[in-house]
Amino acid sequence: MDFLINTILKLGKVDRRWIFLIIAFVVLIPLLFPLSLPIRATATTQLVYDAVEKLPHGSKVLLSCEYGPSTKPEIHPMVISFLKHCFRNGHKVYVTCLWPDGQFLADEALDEVANNEFQLTYGIDYVMLGFRPGNEAVVKGIVSDLRKVYTIDSRGTKITEIPMMDGITKFEDFDFLFSGSAGYPGTIEWVQYAVDQTNIPMSTGTTSIQVNEVMPYVQAGQVQGILAGMPGAAEYENLIGSPGIGTSGMDAQSVAHLVIVLFIVLGNLGYFIERNREKKQRGY
Amino acid sequence: MNFEIFGAWLAVFFTLAIFSFLYRDNSFYKITEHLFVGVSAGYWMSMFFWTQIQPNLYGRLWPSKEYSESGIWYRIYDGLSIFLGSIFPEGGIDKGHDLNLFYLIPLALGVMMLLSLFKSFGWMARWGIAYTVGMAAGLRAYGYLNSNILSQVKATIIPIFDPDLPFFSLLENSHFNNFIIFIGTLTGLLYFYFSKEQKGTFGRITRIGIYFLMISFGASFGFAVMGRISLLIGRFVELITYSSDDYYHASYWVLLVMVILLIYNAYNEKASAE
Amino acid sequence: MIWKRQIPILIVGVIGFVTLFANFTTLHGFKSFVNDDATQWFDILASFAIWLGGLNLLKLQSQKILKKQEGWEYSVFAVIGLIFALVAGFVIKGEPAVEWGTHVTAKGTLFKWMFTYMVAPMQATMFALLAFYVASASYRAFRIRNFEATLLLVSGIIIMIGRVPLGSNISSWFCMYLLVLIAGVTVNSIFKNKQYTAISVASGLILVTVSGFIMGWPLDQPGIFYLPYLQEWIYKFPNVAGARSIMIGIGLGIFSTSVRYILGIEKSYIGE
Repeated sequence: MDFLINTILKLGKVDRRWIFLIIAFVVLIPLLFPLSLPIRATATTQLVYDAVEKLPHGSKVLLSCEYGPSTKPEIHPMVISFLKHCFRNGHKVYVTCLWPDGQFLADEALDEVANNEFQLTYGIDYVMLGFRPGNEAVVKGIVSDLRKVYTIDSRGTKITEIPMMDGITKFEDFDFLFSGSAGYPGTIEWVQYAVDQTNIPMSTGTTSIQVNEVMPYVQAGQVQGILAGMPGAAEYENLIGSPGIGTSGMDAQSVAHLVIVLFIVLGNLGYFIERNREKKQRGY
Repeated sequence: MNFEIFGAWLAVFFTLAIFSFLYRDNSFYKITEHLFVGVSAGYWMSMFFWTQIQPNLYGRLWPSKEYSESGIWYRIYDGLSIFLGSIFPEGGIDKGHDLNLFYLIPLALGVMMLLSLFKSFGWMARWGIAYTVGMAAGLRAYGYLNSNILSQVKATIIPIFDPDLPFFSLLENSHFNNFIIFIGTLTGLLYFYFSKEQKGTFGRITRIGIYFLMISFGASFGFAVMGRISLLIGRFVELITYSSDDYYHASYWVLLVMVILLIYNAYNEKASAE
Repeated sequence: MIWKRQIPILIVGVIGFVTLFANFTTLHGFKSFVNDDATQWFDILASFAIWLGGLNLLKLQSQKILKKQEGWEYSVFAVIGLIFALVAGFVIKGEPAVEWGTHVTAKGTLFKWMFTYMVAPMQATMFALLAFYVASASYRAFRIRNFEATLLLVSGIIIMIGRVPLGSNISSWFCMYLLVLIAGVTVNSIFKNKQYTAISVASGLILVTVSGFIMGWPLDQPGIFYLPYLQEWIYKFPNVAGARSIMIGIGLGIFSTSVRYILGIEKSYIGE
């Protein structure tokens, strides 16, 4: 018993680089040797799926990509799955970006899904409007007059020359909005300056860190569901029947979480043992 | 030279150089960190110029649809076009805009911002900053009042005594769950009321608020851990991709060389310390 | 002097008031100016601010190199990186068929190559470092010192395990057995009586085992002990209550601060 207690106390003082090494192995090994744990969709992910399923065939969907390379593992799988879901249901997708990096990543997603998988036509089935700087001012501009914010698309083609832009002059001309958001500007700005003013339905996918900020909007019904981080992406991939990068990362995510919980438990065990020893020494 | 393979090796080097900071601060990390700062700044400058300044500012000051070889305004443009042909192409800038000379105002404010680089003109940036601050204040006052205050308060006023709802449900609305939301929001808000000392009955009520806030913070912590691990998974997936035959096992070679150099450096430092 | 202080304060007041007032009027020209042109000016000034930041970086790093201050050798890399990015943005397209302007997003250009193999990996890895620090902090700093910290910890752990596929595979009966053992530890720390502890643990174990046999050991029942359902409840109800109170508080703060800026009471943007 003393040996166990002393081991726990010694482990509490271990160099943090050993902890880094353990985390690295714990994430790497499930990626190399997958466990294929089954994935169960949560209610908030189901809401997103149902919101897209409810849209009539040929709806005009605005997809806004506000994420970068640092948050790509969480949001990119959501955007890819969302595009697959939309194209499968015959919707037209208009892509905007409030982050500059979002444009590159949105292009990558469109290439993979629209070009390679579905072989769709640019300008007829989907269009990449591109990035505009200005944060919430861009959202306000899109709500008021989209054609003043975007006179050309990301390829330099005039908006007036793109067939699927016919009849699109402002935000209310869209049927649905999906925001893949990693922070500011993102989901919250879309809710505040677009959705709340126009009642166009909206769903979102956010990084895990942003989930708590957005949940009150979901609970209030301002946002129809939320894909919460990489687990949310994996759940959505599962619902549309197309497992991808989100799903493949879930094993590593599960094991890493378990190890961190064990770290917390171990750390607290050591803390309580030391505290009791100090109390005994002081004669309490 | 295959730029994709070279790029992959560079990406692996940068990734492992940044990870080497976990071992200790070293030259690989410092070089990569400084390179990151410089390249990011240049990337953002280029991106913002080509997506906003050139099409929406210059494109409204010198639109191609109003180009005229005789007017003095476009003579200035032609002069700029000689030296900066990529930014000012011949015949005006064709982005679908009409001529709008009011856009000289943001151009002037923008130039004043840039002039603030010189110490004696430091105050000049204040006008441009004042415009952005004023606009942001006006936008946020309405946006936050509407969406964060009014809508959220409305969403808290939910049925607690509704005969159609069950008393308790784990996943759906119920009397108990609605009660939790109502009490939690109210007591949480009361905690932030610092004009009255938090003791007695008021203190007990705010203590309940603290408990709800702690549950929220715990959930945030859980999500934060989830998010960080996801980012790490993304990096490892890329390193695994670049360790394949297609990229000549870049990850293995770069890791090996870096580890050898770091061990050698650590050994030298130890020897010189002794 | 008037142009260093009064004019900026006037600009904030006028622009702020005009932007706010646009929500309360239907005058078309006015609304159109505020929603379209004024927002475009905002975007343009934001772009100039980025340029100011970039040029300032170049100025400071160059000064460090010229004065040979500590770490100047690394500043050389910062300057090289900045110049390389500007060359990719303004001088070398790398793909002659692509027009200037669209070259920042088109495939095959030097700018795109720089984003894919330099900006993206470095940015992503900087953030990925945090995973290691969060694990280290969890082990070395996260301590249950009081009831509030315990609440934080427990809700965090339930969310972390319940949200991932592993949590879906942990039976609710395992959680019930764990709770029985934790209850035993708690009884022991309160009463410090081995008999009481033994009775409470034994009765708990018997109760759980009998219930399990009767119900047939379903994975997700009783639902309150099944981690995915429990985390869903925490996430949707008490968590939202706490987050909402913070959100309303922040909203009130931002509204009042915005009004203070518009009225000229708050002047931090001019250093006062």
